[in-house]
Amino acid sequence: MRVEKLYKKDTHSWMVMGRDAERREEVIDTNHYLIEHDGRGLLLDPGGVENFSVVAAEFSKHFELANVEAIFASHQDPDVISSLPLWVQANPDLIVYMPQIWVSFITHFGVKLENIRPIPDEGGVITLAGHELEVVPAHYLHSSGNLSVYDPQSKIFFSGDIGAALLPHDSTNLFVEDFDAHTQYMEYFHRRWMPSNTAKMRWIAEVRKRDVEMLCPQHGAIFKGEDVARFLSWFENLDLGSAWNNVR
Amino acid sequence: MSGNLYTRKMGEEYNTIFRQCVSLNTELHKLVPLAKQMHLLSSNAVSSAARAGSEGDAFRVLTQDIQLLGDEVSDCIGDTQKVIGEIVKLASNLAKLFSHYMIYMSLQERLEDQETMTSATFFEHGHQLVAEELKANNYKLSRSLNSLSNLLSPIARLVKKGEYLAVFSSVEAASAGEHGVSFEAVSSMLRELVGQLGLQSARQRSLLRDLSDAMEKQQINQGKLLYAR
Repeated sequence: MRVEKLYKKDTHSWMVMGRDAERREEVIDTNHYLIEHDGRGLLLDPGGVENFSVVAAEFSKHFELANVEAIFASHQDPDVISSLPLWVQANPDLIVYMPQIWVSFITHFGVKLENIRPIPDEGGVITLAGHELEVVPAHYLHSSGNLSVYDPQSKIFFSGDIGAALLPHDSTNLFVEDFDAHTQYMEYFHRRWMPSNTAKMRWIAEVRKRDVEMLCPQHGAIFKGEDVARFLSWFENLDLGSAWNNVR
Repeated sequence: MSGNLYTRKMGEEYNTIFRQCVSLNTELHKLVPLAKQMHLLSSNAVSSAARAGSEGDAFRVLTQDIQLLGDEVSDCIGDTQKVIGEIVKLASNLAKLFSHYMIYMSLQERLEDQETMTSATFFEHGHQLVAEELKANNYKLSRSLNSLSNLLSPIARLVKKGEYLAVFSSVEAASAGEHGVSFEAVSSMLRELVGQLGLQSARQRSLLRDLSDAMEKQQINQGKLLYAR
C-alpha cells in the first residue's frame, strides 16, 4: 500500500493511499484520500469492508483518525463506501456526506440517518474546520447520483470514478507518467461504466471553470499539471455508453 | 486454542447457524399450506355433516372438534412464522457482526506491529461495540429459539388429537352407512394432513435440536473469545 502526500501548506494537506499489494486479485484497486485542515480530517471514498483494516492501519500511521470528523461518498458503490458501518462503529459521531438520492440505499449498510448529511443534486459546499470545499455534480458519471469535490486551496479535484483506470495488478504508479500509454487502461472503463455524453460535457465544463492542478480518481493513477487538460480533451472525445463489443 | 483458531471456528459456527436457520425457515414455511388445507377440511366437514341430515348429529360434534383442531394448528403455524422471520434476521445479523469483529481484529493486529498517530483506544470503541452487539444478538437468538421450541411443542399433541379424530370420524362414517360416505372422505383427508403435520414437525424438531446444539457450541467459543478480552 502506498501513501503519499499530495499537498501540504500550513495546516492544510491532502494524502492519497492506493496500490494495495495485499488485495485479492478479484478485488478492484481503489484510491482513498484524506484531507486534513487544522488537525481535523475528511476521508473521501474510504473504501469497502474488504480493505477497511488496510486503509485504517495505513492512514493511522499519518493521522490521528479520531480526528476524522466526516466521510464523503462520491456515490453508493460497495468499493466506495461499504466500510461505512465500521467507521461509524469506531466513531458514532462521524458525519457522512453523500448524494441525496442514495441515502435510503446506503442506509442498507447499517448506518443511521443521524450520521448522514445528504447533498442535493446541485452540489454545494462542505466545510472542514471552517475550510470550504466545493461539491460538484457528476451525475451519470458513472452513478446516477454522483459527486466530485474541488478544493480551491490545493487546486485538487477529486473526481471519483471519472479518470479511473483499470491498471495491471502489479502496477505501483500513483501518478500518470505517460498519458498516451495510460489511455489503454481508461478507455473501456469509461465507455462501459459511463452512460451519458451530455453528463460528460456538463462535468467537463464545470472542471474547466476551475483552476485544477491535480485530478484524483478513485481507481488508477492521478493526473498532474498538463495531464489534467489532456485528460479532459481525451474524455471530451470519448463516446460514452458505447462498449457494445461483448453485447449481442 | 489460539485466538485465530477460535475466530475461524466461530466464523464457521455462525455460518452453520445461519444456514440451519434458513433450512428451518424453509421447513416451517411448508406448514403454511397445511394450515390452509386444515381450513378447507373444516369447511368440507361442515358440508358433509349437513349432507348427512338428521343422521349427521355425531358428525356435527366431530366437525366442531375438527374446526377447533384446524384453528389450533393455524394459530400454532402463524406464531411460528412470526418467530422464524426474527430468527433468520438475527442469525444473518450475527454473521455480519462477526465479520466486522474479525475485521477489527485484523486491524488491531496490524496496528500492534506499527507506529501509529492514531490512539490505540480509537478502534477499540468499534471493536467493543461489535462485541457487545454480538453478545446481545446471541442472547436474543437463543431466546427466540426457545420461543420457537415452545411454539412447536403443542404440534405433537395436535397430531395425536387429529389421529384420534380421524379414527372417530371413520368409525362414525362407517356406522352411518351411505349417509357417511362424504364424511369418510373428510376422515381420510384429516388422517393424511395430520400425518404430514407429524412428519414435518419431527423434521423441524430435529433441525431445531441441531440448531440448539450449534448455538451451545458457538456460545462456549464466544465466551472464550469475547469475555476473555
